[in-house]
Amino acid sequence: MRIPREGCDEHIVPRDITSQVNQPIEEHYGATRPPKLQYQMGGCGIAGCMDLSGGRLSGDKIAKMLETMGERENGLGAGYACYGLFPEHRDDYCLQFLFDNEDVRCRAEELLESTGTVTKEERVYTRRVKSMRPPFPLVWRYFFRPDPKVEWCGRTDLSDDDLIVQLAMHINAEMPGAICVSSGKDMAVFKGNGYSYEIAEFYDLSRYSGQMWISHSRFPTNSPAWWGGAHPLSILDWAVCHNGEITSYGINRKLVEMAGYRCSVLTDTEVVTYLWDLLVRKQRLPIPIAAFALAPWYHSDIQRLDPESARLAKWIRITYKEAFLNGPFSIIVGRREPEVTMIALADRKKLRPLLVGKSSDDKILYTASEECAVRVVDQNAETWTPNAGSPMIARVGRGILRDGTEQPFTGVRI
Amino acid sequence: MSPSNSSKKRLELEAPERFRPLVDYDLCKRCKKCVNECSFRALEFVDGMVKPVGGCVACGRCINVCPAQAIEIHQVPSQFPPHANFNERVRRAIMSQASSGGVLLTSCGTDVPYPVMFDEMLLDAAQVTNPAIDPLREPVETMTYVGGRRGQLELNDEGDRFSMGDDPAPVVGMDMPIMIGHISLGSVSYNAQKALFMAAKELNILAGSGEGGLHKDFHPFAGNVVSEVASGRFGVTGDYLKRTAAVEIKIGQGAKPGHGGHLPGEKVSALISQTRMIPLGTDALSPYPHHDIYSIEDLQQLISLVKESTEYKVPVGVKIAAVHNVGAIASGIVRAGADFITIDGFRGGTGSTPRIIRDHVGLPIEVAISVVDQRLTKEGLRNRVTVFAGGSIRSSADMIKAIALGADAVMVCTAAMVAMGCRVCQQCHRGVCSWGIATQREELVSRLDPDVASARVVRLFSSWNEELKEVMGAMGIDSVESLVGNRDRLRYFGPNSKIAEIMGVKHVGEGWG
Repeated sequence: MRIPREGCDEHIVPRDITSQVNQPIEEHYGATRPPKLQYQMGGCGIAGCMDLSGGRLSGDKIAKMLETMGERENGLGAGYACYGLFPEHRDDYCLQFLFDNEDVRCRAEELLESTGTVTKEERVYTRRVKSMRPPFPLVWRYFFRPDPKVEWCGRTDLSDDDLIVQLAMHINAEMPGAICVSSGKDMAVFKGNGYSYEIAEFYDLSRYSGQMWISHSRFPTNSPAWWGGAHPLSILDWAVCHNGEITSYGINRKLVEMAGYRCSVLTDTEVVTYLWDLLVRKQRLPIPIAAFALAPWYHSDIQRLDPESARLAKWIRITYKEAFLNGPFSIIVGRREPEVTMIALADRKKLRPLLVGKSSDDKILYTASEECAVRVVDQNAETWTPNAGSPMIARVGRGILRDGTEQPFTGVRI
Repeated sequence: MSPSNSSKKRLELEAPERFRPLVDYDLCKRCKKCVNECSFRALEFVDGMVKPVGGCVACGRCINVCPAQAIEIHQVPSQFPPHANFNERVRRAIMSQASSGGVLLTSCGTDVPYPVMFDEMLLDAAQVTNPAIDPLREPVETMTYVGGRRGQLELNDEGDRFSMGDDPAPVVGMDMPIMIGHISLGSVSYNAQKALFMAAKELNILAGSGEGGLHKDFHPFAGNVVSEVASGRFGVTGDYLKRTAAVEIKIGQGAKPGHGGHLPGEKVSALISQTRMIPLGTDALSPYPHHDIYSIEDLQQLISLVKESTEYKVPVGVKIAAVHNVGAIASGIVRAGADFITIDGFRGGTGSTPRIIRDHVGLPIEVAISVVDQRLTKEGLRNRVTVFAGGSIRSSADMIKAIALGADAVMVCTAAMVAMGCRVCQQCHRGVCSWGIATQREELVSRLDPDVASARVVRLFSSWNEELKEVMGAMGIDSVESLVGNRDRLRYFGPNSKIAEIMGVKHVGEGWG
């Protein structure tokens, strides 16, 4: 059921007690993690679009795609990530935050200033949307260059990327009231607690255009409404939109925690994000191999591969058994390094929907939970469904590198 | 009665019998089969009738061989005046030691009714937000690889493709996460060990050799055998180490932590004397420690030595009894280079052990698994090693919970023996097992048909594996590695929430968040 769309307003709407009758009973949270939160789960809608030629797409387009799948959300969270967003700051890390108050913002700012140079800071434009309920966190953005000589917890051997990861995880875990929602170069995440169209209006996405957008709307089943817990989940230049429920969450979490990641958002999506960073950035696995680790073939199917591929597949399963994402999922993953890249992957049983589309001029790529999301912006797009566990990979300037119907390790160079 | 009268006949101070076979003489055919089959000599044929003469251990052999179903074994009601503190068990032990003056020996796992945490945990199932999987319609995988892992796959960049070098480590695949534990030739008969090895081969799982070496007749099973190197080094030769699927250095056993193997002389027959290379009829008492391992660095050297001896072709692991500091010990063992580690809980079985150790030393396996899994995770080592857990895995439910607590696979012994005929009468150390399992007497050994026994073990573990698939499917998990250490899917349903906290398992009623 769609709630009728209401107009925007720059004014804060006082909380209306009478309207609570129709609202969920639970509290709503901004940047502060809800007390006693241990894990959140739910079902969702996901959508993404990308200009393969490197042109720019307006935020209106992705908002339209996501909003169309209204039955996949219930107003408890939505979000967007945009890549190729800040060409004028493309070499600076863009740290985008949600803050519950000025106090914690100052503390976070101090931390940034003590570990590097803030080349630009700005309050992210937001506007009040009548239908949305408080709290409304402050949204800030810092363009940041880490100090190469900085010492972090006694360590001086951290790369810039590793320092950013440490900073973001530290703030998320240790500074209640602050959430670093994105920390990559030339990208940012816009998310919050509301319907997809409310979040698009809140941030006025029409102001932004970029080479790639990925997005997510939530239908959480039993977790609180929390701005920080909305998707995309992001670390460095990775952003993940995820529809699914990972039944192996504790095991996957164990692996990323062993590798030094700190889980503070407590969703399976957070762990999926860290897994991509661990496997592809830290351990330098090619994307199709990392995808195979997350959604491996059955042992019996592996035996059908040529002997060398079968041996590789076997050792991926042995080495990365804690990375295997069991249970239903479809994910859209964004990355900026080395070029803006989109990955779309469904679980190995294909228990959640995933569709890929391409405009008739081969210029625009679409991914979505449902075909309607593609059709609403492009009547003539060619669409197809990737195979279970087979990643679609597309890169700006290079086009579709894998359409998701190939054998496991073709295109492994990616 | 005068004092002089009582001194004529010595007063019987032995404890009264616990079991008595009762014969229904209307049904009895007087075939004497029960008398002939009773290896404990608890029955005699007197005046044309089968009579119990004491010594029954309730092994049940007479019941099974009786063609007329004329025998029932009755547990004799307690003949002791009731006392909750000096209970019957305590008084029987005192009486037995007053008679023998020795350390009481026993066998099998402890029969003391300690709490069993496996019975105090409930599993989860999928509803709505993720789909349950029907293993009859969809693949649910139970294959398990055993061996060391590297935590990272190194690939060679060859320009247009990536390739792997040599296999990163030796591994062995098992079709199900079950290993038949180390049951030595000596503690059990030739036929019993043969049946276990046959079953392991048919199931494509591993089976332990135990401490007795590998008999040459069993060389065809070597691809499924984990060769044990225990403190006695019985039967350990270069050939033994090379003809194997994996090598396990046994430091300890759950039923007797701090003790070595104990094979009573009664069981050292000609066959055992040859495979263990020890004199006929002598007790084979393995040293309590390995006398070349007095420290963790010594263990590291032995692991290296075994790896060198086996040319790095098979996984080399270490088995320890679960003791109070098991987490730190396990961590040290992984750092010392073990490819797998086997944790044996205190309820685990044995062919012979001092009762004092069996009943009072060690740690329950449920707690040990959780502690080890958590410790190895904390130290970033959990993805470097395979963890086996044993020590009274009685059913597929225990197996599933053990895996969810953090074991990669379970080690099972007693259940396999029960499948072959064992009734857990706890008399293995006497060497007169009426079922032909824990004995070396030719006439008893021949009672066990390896084909029949093996088929029963195969059916048992196949059914456990099917049950594992059913439960995983219900949980929405389609491969067993996604169950390993998945404590989120367990809930504690017992009286002691502290133990749940230590195991890292939420209490029933606690949801996700």
